[in-house]
This record gives sequence, structure tokens and C-alpha cells, in this order.
Amino acid sequence: MKKSIPEDLWKAFFQGDRLACARLITIAENRKERVPELRDALANRLGRAVRIGITGPPGVGKSTLTSLLALGMADAGHKVGIVAVDPSSPFSGGAFMGDRVRMEGLVGDQRIYMRSLASREGHGGLSPSTPDVADVLEGFGMDRILIETVGVGQAELDVLECTDLVVLVLQPSTGDAIQTMKAGIIEAADLIVVNKADLPGKDVVLNSLRFLFGMGLTKKIRPVPPVMTTSAMQNEGLPELVAELEKLASVLLDSGRHADLRRARMEKEIREAISQCLWTAYDGLTGATKCIQEKARELVEKAESPYPFIRESCSRVRVQALDKEASNGHGA
Amino acid sequence: MAEQPIKVVVGKPGLDGHDRGAKVVARALVEAGMEVVYLGLQQTPEAIVAAALEEDADVIGLSILSGAHMPHFRRVKELMDQQGLGDRLLTGGGIIPTKDQETLSGMGVGKLFGPGDDPQMIVAYIREWVKEHPRA
Ligand SMILES: Nc1nc2c(ncn2[C@@H]2O[C@H](COP(=O)(O)OP(=O)(O)O)[C@@H](O)[C@H]2O)c(=O)[nH]1
Ligand SMILES: [Mg+2]
Repeated sequence: MKKSIPEDLWKAFFQGDRLACARLITIAENRKERVPELRDALANRLGRAVRIGITGPPGVGKSTLTSLLALGMADAGHKVGIVAVDPSSPFSGGAFMGDRVRMEGLVGDQRIYMRSLASREGHGGLSPSTPDVADVLEGFGMDRILIETVGVGQAELDVLECTDLVVLVLQPSTGDAIQTMKAGIIEAADLIVVNKADLPGKDVVLNSLRFLFGMGLTKKIRPVPPVMTTSAMQNEGLPELVAELEKLASVLLDSGRHADLRRARMEKEIREAISQCLWTAYDGLTGATKCIQEKARELVEKAESPYPFIRESCSRVRVQALDKEASNGHGA
Repeated sequence: MAEQPIKVVVGKPGLDGHDRGAKVVARALVEAGMEVVYLGLQQTPEAIVAAALEEDADVIGLSILSGAHMPHFRRVKELMDQQGLGDRLLTGGGIIPTKDQETLSGMGVGKLFGPGDDPQMIVAYIREWVKEHPRA
């Protein structure tokens, strides 16, 4: 495969140059076609970092907490990467990213690297490039990666796909929000934080949570997650939160679950890349895109099922055709 | 492939206390399809450049109404050059006399805008500049 990322950029990156890291993240973000090259070069440096999603409704203090968590983890000897995702406007494609306003304490801290990402075609959820950006940060030497989500809609579930642990952040007034939260995220959380404990009303949230878990409304596949309270504003409860997360991280690593999660993600990546690759080859050989367009029009007009066409198309595929293609030099 | 969005870091160095102007401009940039990292009030030049570096921003925009534009622009530009960001645009706004603008321009600072200027002028200027200065 033709290499397109300059050698000296890699060299600077591996020597710990932050601008080189910044530029490789930009490549991960903007140049999807170069991701295989990134993966090739980074693979032997990946595997040890714990990726932690920080999710929860907007305004509960995710950015403020993330910044304090990063400092706490750095003090515990870790190098911390932060990815903060903000929504892209579906109209203009632009994005306003304000998380850094709450992360001033990180300025100039060489143990921490923070990057804002717009959700782009992630449609308000996580940016599709999030895992690749996390790879670059891990390759840069970060062993804790905090991924702050947009906190609404799909992002809550997307984050499960690319992290090892999920922290759900709530605040005293989110008692009702718990009911409207995307199904699954509460059960999926490994840790729940009720932030802004300096404000009145935290018992309401704590009671809703107790009720929820106590009623057995959640699936019993996992233990009930620990619930902690913090005040990011008054810097209270942070050492305890860092300690709890580090405990979860050690269990994850020691139990082999971390490796299982990585393997599952790798399987998915391979499956998706192969389907993409096979589709591209198939489309190139048969002109399927155009053919499907015509067929769909015809089927809709006649009110017919698409499956006879699908079955016929699949039965015509022979793997030899792709072998030949690969030996002609088109393989990756 | 669709063109990648322009990334702009917007900061307010110095001690003056409100950021209405900076936010209006930031909003106009977002509506023009740019990705804007907003840093907030009272940023040091060091913090602004450190953020721009981590974000790999194409553009740094400073909003300065305090009258201390000379030292701030000078220092930010100096840090940008030192840290390998000399190929990015430094622009901004404030109440900046023509004479000062000329001095800054001589140091490699881009065009500067006044409080009365239409934000669309800034949008157009940034777009044009980025188009004329493609990065490797
Ligand atoms: N009272 C109080 N306010 C907080 C606390 N943590 C964060 N905030 C404020 O809540 C607002 C939103 O915080 P931010 O971190 O941006 O929330 P995010 O949208 O979830 O990332 C900001 O004004 C913070 O200063 C806290 O512990 N107590
Ligand atoms: Mg935030």
C-alpha cells in the first residue's frame, strides 16, 4: 500500500512531539482513507490504555469533572488523553466547542493531551473518528483516555461501543431525566456520579437510582454500579472518584475483560472493513449501485419483494472473482 | 471528498470582562460551517497557543477590547512561531488604531477587525486566507 503520512511526522510523533500528535489526530479525523496506515503504524503500541466514556445530560459538569479526573489520574502516575465531543450543526456543518472553558486547569500540563472533536456525520452522537483519535492518543503514550460525549441521544449508546468503562454523570435536578434517558445507558454504566452535590436535591436523584436498581428494573447481567457524589465546583469527592475508577480499571485489566473488549472491537472492525472492501469490489465489478437503483424503482412500482433479487445477486458472487482481483494488485 | 471544516480557536486574552463580541463572531463562524473551539475569558497567550497546538487549529482569533492588543498579539504570534504554528492565521478584533494594525501586519499578524465590522467579513477573510494557504 502506498504510504502517504510523511516519515518525519511519525518520527516526531514517536519522539513525543505534541504538534505531530495534533497533526496525526487531524489525519484520523479528516482522512478516513489513511486510517489503515495509522492502524498499521500504531498497532504495536496499543493495548494497555483504559478508555473511559464520560456521559450524561448537557450541563451536569462532565467537562469540569473530566478535567479534574485527568489531573487526579496524572497525579497517580498516568498519562491522560481527553477527547471531548460536541455536536456539529446539521445545517451548517459547523460546531461550537466550549469544553475547554471548563478545562483551564490543564493548560500547559504535559502529562495530559486534550482534543475537541465535532460529531460531524455522527449526527449528534460521537464523531465516527473517535476510536481512531483515541488510538493516536494511546500511541502517543496515553494510558488513560477520557472520552466526554455530547450527552444526548445516540452518543450515550455510541460511547459503549468504543470504551472499556462508562461513567454516567447526573446532577441533583436530573431525577426526571433518568426516566427519559436512552434505555440501556443506566444499566450499562460502570459508575454513576451525582455531581453538583453542593446544590440542594441530590437525595432525589439518589432515591430515584435506588428505586430503579432496587426494583430490579435493570437487567441482572451486571452488578449494580457504584454511585458516588461529587462537587466538581468545590473539588469534593474527586480523590474518591479517581480511586474508584482506578479500582475498576485494575479489575478490568486483571480479569481479562479489557482484553475481551479489545478483541470484540477488533472483530467488529475487521468485519466492517471486509464488508466495505467486498462491497467496493463487487460494486466495481458489477455496477451494483446503478443496478440497485433501477431495480428498486421497478420493485416499488410493482409492489414486489426485493428478496428474489437479493438472493439472485448473492448466488452469483464467487470468491474466485475477488482472488483474481487481488492478484491483479488491487488488494489492500 | 468533502472539504474538511476550517478549525478556529477563539480566545480572549487580558482582563476585560465580557465576551459578547467574541461569541457573536464565533456563532457566525459556526454558521459558516467552521469548527470553533471557544476558550473563554482572560486567557494567557501561552494558554491560547497551547490550545491551538493541541487542536491543530488553522486559525487563532483573538478578541481584545482592553487596549492591550499590542503585547497580546505580539506575544501570541511569537509563541506560534516558536511552536511550529507560524503557518496558521492569527487574526482578531478590537479597537485597534490603523498604525498599530500596520505594525502587527508587519509582524505577520493577519487582518484585524473592529467592533462595527460585519462578522461576515471575518468569515469571508478566513475562508479566503485558508484557501490561499493550504497546509501540507
Ligand atoms: N454548583 C456546581 N456547578 C458545577 C459543578 N460542576 C460543574 N458546574 C457548573 O456547571 C456548568 C456546566 O459544566 P460543564 O462541565 O460545562 O458541563 P457539561 O456540559 O456536562 O460538560 C458550568 O457552569 C460549571 O461551572 C458543581 O459541582 N457544582
Ligand atoms: Mg462539556
